[in-house]
Amino acid sequence: MTSPIVQLPQAQLRPLLAAYEATVRSRRWHSVMIAACVVAAIALSSISAEVAPMRLFENIGRFTSYIVRLFYLESGAPVWTDPAEWYWGLPRWLRLLGETLLMAYVGTLLGAAGAFGLCFLAAANVAPSRWLRIAVRRFCELCRTVPGLVFALIFVIAFGLGPMAGVLAVAIHTLGALGKLFAEVVENIDMKPVEGISSTGAAWHVAMRFGALPQTMSNFVSYALLRFEINVRESAVLGFVGAGGIGQDLIEAIRKFYYSDVSAILVLILLTVAVIDMLTARVRHRLIGLGENHR
Amino acid sequence: MTGRPKIDLAAVRSRHPHHFGRMDRAQITAAAVAAAALALLIYGMGELGFFGGTFLAGLRRLGEILGLMLPPDPGNWAHVRIFVMALLETVAIALLGTLSAAVLAVPLALLAARNVTTARLVRFLSRRSLDTIRSVDILVWALIWINVVGLGPFAGALAIMTSDIGSFGKLFSEAIEAADRRPVEGIVSTGGGRILGVRFGILPEVFPVLASQILYYFESNTRSATIIGIVGAGGIGLHLAEAIRTLELPQVSFIILLILAAVAAIDFVSSQLRFAMIGPRAGTAT
Amino acid sequence: MLRLDGVVKKFGDKRAVDAVSLVVPAGQLVGIIGRSGAGKSTLLRMINRLNDPSEGSIRYGDIDITALRGRALREWRARCAMIFQQFNLAGRLDVLTNVMMGRAFHAPLARSLFNIWTDDEKALGLSALEGLEMARLAGQRADTLSGGQQQRVAIARALVQEPELILADEPIASLDPRNTQVVMDALQHINRHLGITVICNLHSLDIARNYCDRLVGLANGRVVFDGVPSQLTDRVARDLYGLESDDVVGPDARPDYTPAEARPGLALAGS
Ligand SMILES: Nc1ncnc2c1ncn2[C@@H]1O[C@H](COP(=O)(O)OP(=O)(O)OP(=O)(O)O)[C@@H](O)[C@H]1O
Ligand SMILES: [Mg+2]
Repeated sequence: MTSPIVQLPQAQLRPLLAAYEATVRSRRWHSVMIAACVVAAIALSSISAEVAPMRLFENIGRFTSYIVRLFYLESGAPVWTDPAEWYWGLPRWLRLLGETLLMAYVGTLLGAAGAFGLCFLAAANVAPSRWLRIAVRRFCELCRTVPGLVFALIFVIAFGLGPMAGVLAVAIHTLGALGKLFAEVVENIDMKPVEGISSTGAAWHVAMRFGALPQTMSNFVSYALLRFEINVRESAVLGFVGAGGIGQDLIEAIRKFYYSDVSAILVLILLTVAVIDMLTARVRHRLIGLGENHR
Repeated sequence: MTGRPKIDLAAVRSRHPHHFGRMDRAQITAAAVAAAALALLIYGMGELGFFGGTFLAGLRRLGEILGLMLPPDPGNWAHVRIFVMALLETVAIALLGTLSAAVLAVPLALLAARNVTTARLVRFLSRRSLDTIRSVDILVWALIWINVVGLGPFAGALAIMTSDIGSFGKLFSEAIEAADRRPVEGIVSTGGGRILGVRFGILPEVFPVLASQILYYFESNTRSATIIGIVGAGGIGLHLAEAIRTLELPQVSFIILLILAAVAAIDFVSSQLRFAMIGPRAGTAT
Repeated sequence: MLRLDGVVKKFGDKRAVDAVSLVVPAGQLVGIIGRSGAGKSTLLRMINRLNDPSEGSIRYGDIDITALRGRALREWRARCAMIFQQFNLAGRLDVLTNVMMGRAFHAPLARSLFNIWTDDEKALGLSALEGLEMARLAGQRADTLSGGQQQRVAIARALVQEPELILADEPIASLDPRNTQVVMDALQHINRHLGITVICNLHSLDIARNYCDRLVGLANGRVVFDGVPSQLTDRVARDLYGLESDDVVGPDARPDYTPAEARPGLALAGS
């Protein structure tokens, strides 16, 4: 059949093609430059991080065999053939898991309470003083940037081995993270109610209580719940540095190559985390729904 | 001024009973939930030993420790050199881990995305495996990789890679699912097939979103990379843990300051790059 | 010749297209009209097999379109180009790359996957663009173009498919009167001078009357009118749209369209 397109004569086509290639080339040049930068960064990093592809290639079998061995008992039988043997330590692990959850809970609540107190001081629209606001922001940044595990290491020295150090580490980290998020919530509120109350001559804290707080509460709770999910995961490894919870048994099992214990504890943690995520997600959805109804 | 007109309280009350009546159901529920939460908090604090003498003694010790941390002091120049090198190593670990995870996560994300993979079972399995990978803590991955390639930063990079494959896989598949389906339809309607539909209809469109997520994770991985050193997977964490254990407290605060500076620098650079790529605000939400 | 026999498309309980039977001889310009939700888009999408019919058969010559799979299906799609209301271009790719998608079926996958096109293919794309006065913009990103320009890119993409049939789903619905005329003239030119069958969904009765050889009216998924434009009386239009005829002719009647023949030809290649 005939083509619907009448080919242009070469004389007309050539400049068009050349113009197109020129634009494409300039764009491609841009991409090539970026790619070159990335490749250079990768090369430098590989040297610094002692990347050894051959070592990885030779030993990659160990990775798979490690994963496989996780699911075999000492006796050589697969774990699911003898659940009682696999979960021989269940009562102890459940107690430690409970401790982990309690650490996450107390840490989240203490941190959220602290963040709640600070966020009104750190929000640009309602903060009573500029310098106080900057100081509070920096403090939150510090708490959030230093990893929880580092706080845990320091607290273990001060408070001794055990869950108290873990709780405080979680609380500090939560304070930093939620302080920022809460302040953002406050910055996004509708200012009219606050101004309305301030205009009656009410004190700052009264304006906050009745003007700002009602608009923010459901968001605060929602963020705190989200943080609780994260903190449950975090608390599960705080035991690695002796700060309480199931982590201490997990790292012992890993260090001493008790493979089936490792998988048993990991499965317990994964299940717990999944259940917590599901529950908090449900509560958060209801909260957000409520918030929208009220608006 | 004459006195305020007398208000007929009973009439007002009968017209607006909800302002005078006791709390409504929602308020009662909220109060009950708050009371239960508080009770659990107090129980938990008791259980975890907050009300014994250890807490107060600990606070006192913490105060002493904080006092000893100031002013930050690396000790000598040799230490500064070591710490800065370790910090660069940490950044390198984060960079390599993030990039390799991103590369490996793209195919997995395509398998998990509803608008690319039609086979439900494949989608389900890839989602579940991504979730599982994501739920295992990065420290556990680090310990496993140490078994494979030995102690050192390489194990750290691999740990970040593994744990990020899970996160990226999920984020990328969400970005892909949010992509406009019309360009894909345009390509499929010409007889181009699904592969080209994904290649030209989806990937160019989601690329900036993925790039911004990668940058965002690079920053947060720099923080993660500082802790994997604690279990021996390279980077500044090793020195930090060492300084804490040996109570070289001025060194501890010096290292923390270094980390803060590095994270702030990377934050700045990555947000500039993100901004250059897709404009302000976009991509900060994860 | 395209032949639809009792074609039904169900979305859940809803019969979006309900027992449509049509015969479209080669070389016709068919306008499909009907109110929103009548099933016009669904009908065209089934011909291109972007949607699969629930019942009935679609045949083209002696090919059973409804039974096509895999490569044969893609070959059919390559022969029957589709133009969309929303253009359906890849916004972040440049114009010529978008047009090259029309060659995707013909180029080997290993090459097209890496966005490599031969000079012949590019020449074809540029020629098609030039016919629509778009060749100068070949290197520009598609999402930086105006709606009318984007639709012309989409038409160029359809043309480089060298199709036997063009399906246009409300190609002018998001365009202004000037661009409407450009696009409709292009479609008419393609049909008149190149003998390509065009099936075009249209909202505007006036445009349908002016440009089409034949009109098919759909209501609730059923064919309620099938004839030449002159048979489409106001009474029929009223039935089709369920409105007063003044309303139907109302907004679209404002731009005064001269009959197609009386207008100077569009600067299309070959005209
Ligand atoms: N993917 C789908 N899922 C469910 N229902 C659909 C889908 N696509 C179309 N429909 C329904 O089928 C009916 C016909 O839709 P269609 O898009 O074909 O109408 P149309 O005539 O093109 O309308 P418009 O002029 O507004 O574009 C509508 O009721 C629509 O809601
Ligand atoms: Mg439609």
